[in-house]
This record gives sequence, structure tokens and C-alpha cells, in this order.
Amino acid sequence: MRVAQVKRFVVSDHPLPWLLPLVAILLVFTVYPLIYNIWLSFHEYVPRKRALEYVGTQNWVQLWNDARFWQSLTITFIYFAVALAFELVLGMAIALLLDNDGFGFGFLRGVLTMTLVIPPAIAGMMFLLMQDPQFGVISYFLQWIGLLDPARPILATASTALAGVLLPEIWQWTPFMVLIFLAGLRALPREPYEAAMIDGASSLQIFRRITLPMMAKVIAIAVLIRGIDLFRVFDYVFVMTSGGPGTSTYTLSLYAWQQTFSFVKWGYGATLSLVTLAIILAVASLFIKVAKVRW
Amino acid sequence: MNPSVASRTLRTVGAWVVVGIFFFPIYYWTSVAFKHGNAIFSRPPNLFNFTPTFDNFQKVFGISFGTGGVTVTPGGGNFYMAPRIWDSIVVATLSTLLAVVVATLAAYALSRIKFRGRHEFVNWVLSTRMMPPVAVAVPMFFIYKQFGLIDTFTGMVLIHGLMNLPLAVLLMKSFFDDIPVEIDESAIVDGASRFMIFRRIVLPMAKGGIAATAVLCFIFSWTEFLFALTLTTTSLKTVPVVSSTFVTSIGTAWGNMAALGAASIIPAFIFILLVQKHLVRGLTMGSLKQ
Repeated sequence: MRVAQVKRFVVSDHPLPWLLPLVAILLVFTVYPLIYNIWLSFHEYVPRKRALEYVGTQNWVQLWNDARFWQSLTITFIYFAVALAFELVLGMAIALLLDNDGFGFGFLRGVLTMTLVIPPAIAGMMFLLMQDPQFGVISYFLQWIGLLDPARPILATASTALAGVLLPEIWQWTPFMVLIFLAGLRALPREPYEAAMIDGASSLQIFRRITLPMMAKVIAIAVLIRGIDLFRVFDYVFVMTSGGPGTSTYTLSLYAWQQTFSFVKWGYGATLSLVTLAIILAVASLFIKVAKVRW
Repeated sequence: MNPSVASRTLRTVGAWVVVGIFFFPIYYWTSVAFKHGNAIFSRPPNLFNFTPTFDNFQKVFGISFGTGGVTVTPGGGNFYMAPRIWDSIVVATLSTLLAVVVATLAAYALSRIKFRGRHEFVNWVLSTRMMPPVAVAVPMFFIYKQFGLIDTFTGMVLIHGLMNLPLAVLLMKSFFDDIPVEIDESAIVDGASRFMIFRRIVLPMAKGGIAATAVLCFIFSWTEFLFALTLTTTSLKTVPVVSSTFVTSIGTAWGNMAALGAASIIPAFIFILLVQKHLVRGLTMGSLKQ
């Protein structure tokens, strides 16, 4: 290659020099782990030999027959669906409430952003304290209004533990939805609303027939971004319950993590995290296609 | 009172109550940070009527507020967390720098240079955001062990930088897309090279966007838990990870933990207020403009 050609290649219109650092990092930190996980899923660590051994499809067969895997998949799905439903509905309701130029509303919107900068692990601790059966403020309030049996602490009872973990989740991420929806609401054109008012439409009709359809793209993006994170949930369950009581709050990510680091089942842990990735990729890609989200 | 005044009042009251409910856990947590042990464990919970103390901050940060003003005495002990704040700041700052530099270069090309498969490339970058951290952390744990990167700033900076790359690339691309292409074109006609246009013209125009991207990367690194938990052991620990240190066999030091938590929220909150204009665009990875 002549010097001029080299120079043209480096500084001109070829995208490669610009993309090279990004591609290099993504190859090392995402493509390599992916390939390594696939390789690992056909092996298992044998403590006696202190080495990995080829086990064929054993991990995948085990996965299929593992009741705890199916249970953690169900728990992850419930967590995902409940959190998303609450965050969407509450988020939209609060966004509509705060979509106002009155005195103090800007301040209130600013206060809501506070929850977003709290490390989820610390938010989990906050709610762990507030749900403490003895001196937790949430437990006290629920016991006081008679909704909670003092003998059945929220996080130590199998039937309510997941709800207890969902509390910080919904508290922390509803404001995320509020901010996104508020931006969407503020960008809507005025004319359709004026026309609807003249026609005497009710506010519910206006919301269903005008606001909701015009907000479809915004809602789709919020669902996609939040949905991806919800399906990988780890922090809250790890600090609040570590999957317990029993196995009632084991999510996929936590199960995979524990198999690898607590039980030294490296191969099986890799198999579990691959399945988590596959589900997210499949559902998210389908969603991007159907909802026509574009970047 | 006519109905419109009534509904406006109702709306204002409703808005304050709702935001008040969301603010309550932060207030409560901060109040715990200022409480003596006994006040934390009172029943019914003591919300307002307690004597504030700085003991927790003193223990965690070595800072004391007395009659002689503020004095700092770096202490020892398991609960002395000032070095952990430093760890978090270093990791967040350097990983942000890494992500922003790499992403800005790539985003410029993705915004300006047409090439085959550009759309697919953007989708690929987006898809890396879907990797569950646990699927990255496990292989990385083994590589890091081999290369001695466990417990090192290099290791944490690399992994947090990577984690923020999809966000940073897509967000910076959206900011570059806002700058008219005509500016580049007229500069090319004048004989400027791509890199010169990038450095002298486009980069200064995208300053606000770079700041917003940097703040978000910083906060995501500041709050990250799984990688920090997996890839560090003793000498380096970030704030979210050490919060579990306060859980001991003789009980949880809630006051100390709350002091650390409260202190870690404030800088991040100030940061995010500085870029509030671009916040929503950042949270949606550049797909929505505010």
C-alpha cells in the first residue's frame, strides 16, 4: 500500500479506525465470554481432580430435568411481569399527575430522580431495614393497620418474600418510567386535545384514544429497556433474601451465580446464564421487531 | 371555590403526597444515619423525635463535627469506609473516561460514515447490553484470575467501561445525529480531514452530550454490584459491595451502613441534576429526546 493510501485509510472515510477500539473491547468482553460459556456448558468442574472435565450434554439434560431451574424461571418471570406492570401503570399515572407547569412541580420532578442514583444493593438494604419485623417502619405500619401478621415477617415468609423484594424494585424504578413518560407527554402536539375538548370527550376517552396511541413509541422503549434489566435481576434478591426463604425468591441470575461461586458447579452455572441470555435476546429481538423500535 | 381551582388544588396536593411517599425511604434512611443505636431499634419507629448524632459518620468516615469545627481523623477498624469511597470514585471516573473516549470515536463513525451493515452493527452493540452480567462475570472471573486482574483497578475499570459502552455509543450517536452533516461537508470541501473535523468542529459542538453521557456512565459504575462483587475480594471494594460488611454475626450496624449510603447518594444526585436536560435521552440510550 502506498503512503497516501495508508494515510487515506487512517483518517478518511473508512469506518474501521473509528470502530476498532469498540470492536476490540466488545470482542474481548462479550464475544469471548459467550464462547467460553458455551464451551463451559459442556464441561464440569471435578473437585477431586481440581480440573474441568468434558461431560457432553449432561449439563443441558440436567437443566431440562432440574425442577429448581424451572422454578427460578417462573420466579424470574413473575418478578418481571409484576414489576413491569406496576412500574408502567404507576409510572403513567404519576407522569400524568406531574405533567403540569404549576408552582413546585419542577422541584417534585427533580426529587423523583433521586431514587435513580441509589445503588440497588443499598436500596435493598434500606428496604431490608424498613421491613424488619421488629423495628421496620413498613412492617410496623402494615401490622398497625392489621394487614400483616407479626408472626409472619414479610421477607421470612415464603408467600410474601417476593413481594418484599419487589418493593424496592418498584420504588426505585417507577420514577424511571415517570421521567420517560413525562418527556413523552411534554412533546405531544396540542391540537388533537383541543379538537377532543370541543367534541366533548371525557378525560378517560382522551387518554385512551389520543394520549395512549401517541405515546406508543415512548412506552415501547421504556418497556424494552426496563424489561431487559428486570429479567437479569440480581442485586435486590442477593442482599435481601439470597433466594430464600427456601427457594422462594431464587431468580435465574442468582441461581446461576450461586451454582458457579457457592457450589463450584462452573459448567452448570454457565449453562444457566446462557439460558438467561438466550431468553432475553429472543424476547427482546421479537419485541424490537413487533414494536418497531429503532435506534 | 370554583371547580377548576378545586381540581388544581387537588392535583397539587396529590403530587406532593405521591412524591412524598417516594421520598420517604430516603428521609428514613438518612434519619437512621443520624441516630444512636437505641433510636434505630425503637418501636414504634422513631421518625422525627430523636437527638441527631454524628457518631455514625465519625465511625465510617473519621469525620467529626464538634465545637472546634470539622475535624478529620482517619480511623481504623472494619467500618472505616473512606478508602472504599475513594475506590468507587477511581473506578467510576476511569471507567467513564474509557467508555466515553471509545464510544465517542465509534459513535462519530456510526453517525457520519455510511457503510454496509451499519444498521446491523448498531443492533449488535445494542444486543451486548442484553447480556446478563452473570454471563459475563463468570468467564471474566477465570480470565482475570489468570492475568492477576482480580482485585485491581485495571480489572474493575475495564469491566465497568465495557458495561457502559452500549449506552455510551448509542447516546453519543444520538447527539452527533443532532449536529447537521452540512457542517462536516463544508469542512471537507475546505480540505479538512475527517479526524480534524471530528476534533475541531464536531467534538466541541457535542460538549453537552459528552457531559451527559459521562455522568450516566459514572452513576452506573457507582451503583454497579454484581461485577464488583465477583471480581474483587479484599484490597479493592466499591461502595455497593461493602454495604454487606455491616451485617455481622452480632447484628447489623444499620446506623453506620445508613451513613455510608446517605453519603454515597448525594454526590451522584448533584451530578445527575447537572445534566437533567439530557437525562431522559440518556435513560433511553439516546432513542428519546427530551
